[in-house]
Amino acid sequence: MNCAAVRERLAELAVGVLPEEDRPAVELHLRWCAGCRKEARELDQAAATLALALAPAPLPSGLGERVVARIREAAGAPGSRRRLRTAAAAVVAAMVAVAGLGWGAVMAGRADRFADRAARAEQRREAALEQFRKVLVGLPLGTQLPEDQTHLGQLAPTAAGRVGGGAVLELVSPTRIDFVIVIVNGLPRDPGRLPYRIELRNAGGDVLRGGEIASLDADGGGQAFRQFQNRSLAGFTTVLVRDAAGRVVLRGSIDGTQGA
Amino acid sequence: MNGRPDGPLLAREEQQLVDGLLAGNEDAVRALYTRFARPIFTLGIRLLGSAEAAEELTQDVFLTAWRKAARFDATRGRLSTWLMTIAHNLAVDRLRRETGVSRPTLVLVDEVPEVAAQGEEDPLIERDAAVRALQSLSDAERRLLARAYFGGLTAREIAEADGVPLGTVKTRLRTALIKVRRANQEKEHA
Repeated sequence: MNCAAVRERLAELAVGVLPEEDRPAVELHLRWCAGCRKEARELDQAAATLALALAPAPLPSGLGERVVARIREAAGAPGSRRRLRTAAAAVVAAMVAVAGLGWGAVMAGRADRFADRAARAEQRREAALEQFRKVLVGLPLGTQLPEDQTHLGQLAPTAAGRVGGGAVLELVSPTRIDFVIVIVNGLPRDPGRLPYRIELRNAGGDVLRGGEIASLDADGGGQAFRQFQNRSLAGFTTVLVRDAAGRVVLRGSIDGTQGA
Repeated sequence: MNGRPDGPLLAREEQQLVDGLLAGNEDAVRALYTRFARPIFTLGIRLLGSAEAAEELTQDVFLTAWRKAARFDATRGRLSTWLMTIAHNLAVDRLRRETGVSRPTLVLVDEVPEVAAQGEEDPLIERDAAVRALQSLSDAERRLLARAYFGGLTAREIAEADGVPLGTVKTRLRTALIKVRRANQEKEHA
């Protein structure tokens, strides 16, 4: 969809009635077209004026504190299961955020320092994706849309694994070298379990090795990174983490990579 | 911060508030709530029809804002716009989920925003300005925007109901929004 076709639809988008069939193409266009994005923002502002002009209704008593409590709960109390589960995503996000500094730094394990940012995992993820998008947009990518090529997933413990969690990020790009980053957290550190190996699977049963985690930090956290020079990661949406004995301890799937 | 609790914030102050939200600062959450909860809750009542649903929406809006706080850029748009857009999108999504149709079906008593009564106690930030901006529209334009924004009617549905070409409705929607945008810009530059 070109700029003219998108702009013809921006008013409908702003007032929330753009037909569903048009929405994906318009939103895709807005991700990379700054001019149309600016126009969309201005029309959004105009549409919001309608809401701001409404005669105000009285607020329910105590709602403010309930809002504060929801955010406090979402941030996660220290040691909570949610915190553990989302911690890895925060580290992924932090790693992505340092992408602009070079993968060497990431590979050297310097991402460990970001582990303490885990409590705000979801917002970090948002921030990192935004930053990742900016980093890639700054590169000569032709007409490709980097944001569409970046896929995230969460890893959850299996019945055999019972503990820990993680996150995985894949870049699946026709113009750049595909890579996968896996971050784990809360895994057992006993020597018999290491190294943990990453496995990527597609629907056809093909398996790719996604690297291994040879050591874990005090929180049972570690990361693996692997580039795929001559192979596309498209379709490899299932991610398994196996311990040294071959037991699957974490499992997850990536959001919507393209079919192989 | 701005000395007037109900006065408009500078872009720098809006960014500070959102940065505080990003950091999980509860004072920032409360400050945002104080300023913006009423228009959000009001929109929730308008679109969802009950105080209970509006309360859920209000909580969801602040939670979404917290999650997406890193995306907010005060140099690109107003905080009120950002929050109201989140609120409208969440409400429309909810209606779509609940009704299982591609657009919400809303029952509205009054589709057009009221003009503030003289002397009315009005703690809403920016409401006066918003009402003034809407006064730049004709009644027909205001009604058209309201049928879409509050009523969820698509351009095609409005075209069919009014017996006018689809392209005309789209153009009118766009023209009306541009008028409001211009009025907003004039207000900001005044």
